[in-house]
Amino acid sequence: MRGALRPGARAGLVGGAVLVYLALVGMLVKFEELRLVGSQVTRGRLLLVLPPFAASFFAVRPRVIGGRVEQPGPGVALALGAVAGALVGAVGSVGLALVEAIGVERIRPVFVAVSPALVETLTFGRGAAAGAAILVVGGAALGAAGGIWRAIRHGLRRPVEVGLLTVVTLAMLQRIVPFMLDELRLERDWLYSRATRGLTWTGAVVVLVVATAAAAYVLDRRERRALAPAAEGRPEVRGWRRTALVTIAVVLAAALPQLAGSIVSEIMGTVGVFLLLALGLNIVTGYAGMLHLGFSAFFLIGAYAVALLTGANLVTAFGLVAPRFSADLNFYLALVLVVAIGAAVGALVAAPVLRLRGDYLAIVTLAFAQIAVILATSSWLQPITGGPQGLRDVTKAPLLGLEFRSAERFYYLVLAFCVLAVFVSWRLAWSRVGRAWNAMREDEQVADAMGVPTGRYKMLGFAIGGAIGALGGALFAVKVGTVQPGSFEIIQSITVLAVVILGGLGSVPGVVLGALVLLALPGLLSQLEEFRFLIYGAVLVAIMILRPQGLIPNVRRMRELREEERTQDAWQQIFAARQEREAAEEAAEAAP
Amino acid sequence: MSRLLEVSGVVKRFGGLAALDGLELHVEEGEIVSVIGPNGAGKSTLFNVVTGLYPPDEGDVRFDGRSIVGLRPHQITKLGIARTFQTVHLFANMTVLENAMVGQHCRTRSGVFGAIVRPPSTRREEERIREVARRSLAFFGPRLAGYRQEQPAFVLSYANRRRLEIARALATEPRLILLDEPTAGMNPRETLEMRDHIVRMRDELGLTVVVIEHDMRVVKGVSDRVIACDYGRVIAQGTYEAVAHDPQVIEAYLGRRAVG
Repeated sequence: MRGALRPGARAGLVGGAVLVYLALVGMLVKFEELRLVGSQVTRGRLLLVLPPFAASFFAVRPRVIGGRVEQPGPGVALALGAVAGALVGAVGSVGLALVEAIGVERIRPVFVAVSPALVETLTFGRGAAAGAAILVVGGAALGAAGGIWRAIRHGLRRPVEVGLLTVVTLAMLQRIVPFMLDELRLERDWLYSRATRGLTWTGAVVVLVVATAAAAYVLDRRERRALAPAAEGRPEVRGWRRTALVTIAVVLAAALPQLAGSIVSEIMGTVGVFLLLALGLNIVTGYAGMLHLGFSAFFLIGAYAVALLTGANLVTAFGLVAPRFSADLNFYLALVLVVAIGAAVGALVAAPVLRLRGDYLAIVTLAFAQIAVILATSSWLQPITGGPQGLRDVTKAPLLGLEFRSAERFYYLVLAFCVLAVFVSWRLAWSRVGRAWNAMREDEQVADAMGVPTGRYKMLGFAIGGAIGALGGALFAVKVGTVQPGSFEIIQSITVLAVVILGGLGSVPGVVLGALVLLALPGLLSQLEEFRFLIYGAVLVAIMILRPQGLIPNVRRMRELREEERTQDAWQQIFAARQEREAAEEAAEAAP
Repeated sequence: MSRLLEVSGVVKRFGGLAALDGLELHVEEGEIVSVIGPNGAGKSTLFNVVTGLYPPDEGDVRFDGRSIVGLRPHQITKLGIARTFQTVHLFANMTVLENAMVGQHCRTRSGVFGAIVRPPSTRREEERIREVARRSLAFFGPRLAGYRQEQPAFVLSYANRRRLEIARALATEPRLILLDEPTAGMNPRETLEMRDHIVRMRDELGLTVVVIEHDMRVVKGVSDRVIACDYGRVIAQGTYEAVAHDPQVIEAYLGRRAVG
């Protein structure tokens, strides 16, 4: 019995640690301010509920024992979950007891977030002893609920989860969605309360029901299609449905500034710039399988190139001066050159590292990014790049008398190029070139032996990725109006890589979603900015464990999974059928 | 008949060990040649040198009268030598059809512009690639047909993986195909089937075939000529019967009989 409860204990301790951590970084208190549904459900309370629930959810996960997948029954699930949840509460209580024993005022200089407000939140305002009891009992109850939840059949559970997630997302988007509804002149008071600003209970229930039903329908259809043998034919021509979806997405994206106002346009403009970078990196790393840790270098190159080609100025002690080398081209003409420069630099960088693979290549690319920043900052290139101060007065990208610096206009500019880059990525994926990259990613040596000139295709991957990345950099320069080396630190490369990995390596819709989740959400959901990198880290770790293929996997990876599920469900039948058939064939062969 | 492949005096050393030690052999056009020999005799190394994966330390490899030493593997494939591997190396996450389509890479041209703009010429070429890939999969009859072509390669059974690897090699439209233990891991029925396929490669597709094989029923059934190697050298060659009874070959396989 003790052995059986061990997963619960382990998950509970981890969950408790997470709870303490969330409290110590200040998320619990900070999140308390935001009301999600009615005045009862706040974001802080949601965050408090999550660790015990999640801990038991993990504790009860199916295990492979002796080659068979064992899903704990409801009784075991209940017990395991309760243990896990209670432990989370217990760890929290121990933390509380420590705080009480030492005194809030003495801890505060070290852990700024430990405040009377935090104690108040964790004890529900009822004093330490009662608070601890509530934590443990409540934890156990939540844990039991989590365990039972996990034991429910996947087909029933998943739609409700989608529904709940929709409710939470809508509630979190309370600054944006009501504004959009107002713009559309739609009635909103049933959904969002004007008093709490969050969802009303009626609204939440309606959204939950609708989203659950929709998810159930979609998931059921998808399951059925997955069980049917895959239709023969090109995956690319799976028909008008995809075209329709893409059209709707583009129309929605185009209508966004009108609907959501300039704050959202501002955020989405930045997201668009990073989406371009991510699409470029997706070609290098997702399609061709070369890990690139320094993609921000192309960002930098694009930004500086466009600044220098369109007549930006240097900041010096004597005021603004033209750089040593510069041109005053039309922005769109310059953009063609920038793309060409990005491609050329990409290919040039690739040339010496063609023989490197995997980790070694990654290290070289990391160095490449550092070199780019150091060069841009150096006093040697100061007359051109402006050193640490950089360049000012970057073009506003005038076209037919319109300028694109304002948030809404810039959004359209970047949207147009994003659509173009998505189109290019998608066409490349389903082409001879894309196949060659894929083969190279799967097995470089074999691809070579099968007639793919791998060296050339590596350079091609870097060149096209670099071109798209430089385009992103150029637009970034237009958006900000200045170019400074400080904007292109390593963290940008990491962010872009995180977007691609989160979305799904090699999957264009995945990369778009990844950019929205990782870049747009923290901006749109209030107060998340402060915890941005904390959340990045947590999301990446979670994705690596739970869904290593990304949110929307590449079609190929998707097939992989689908097959896995199918074989898991039916492998015994398949195996038995095959044995039977082979026995029959042997018999037939032996007969004459 | 002309000499399609000529390997003369090839030496390949790995550290102190000479995997190929002055190997001499040739293959006539339209021939099926089996290469046999105990483990470590240098058979796979021979294939790796011929296909450009390893550069030889000494000697020359001529294909259709032209030296191919120093060419990259993809260039050699384009000249018309295709191969399979001893341990199956497929593009596991690509579909069966896509695997075969990669084989057509060296026979087609369209690049980035074609991929993005998709002019009629690219569409036609893509159709052709698909067509050739389908045809090479069809070489194995129903084994790789229908819904299987849209499945990822890694779900295939072991025997089908071997078949797909051969189909991928056939899709490069080669003149010479090198098969490295095509029946390894197959059951007796599949092995016999493969034996017939090897003969069909020559008879129906007009290929020249060099096959490394351990299963003597296959060797006996397909070979115009058998070449036996040991320690990186040819120790005997000729008809199956002659080689099978050659004392040096017997010794290589069974060891020297104790004198006395």
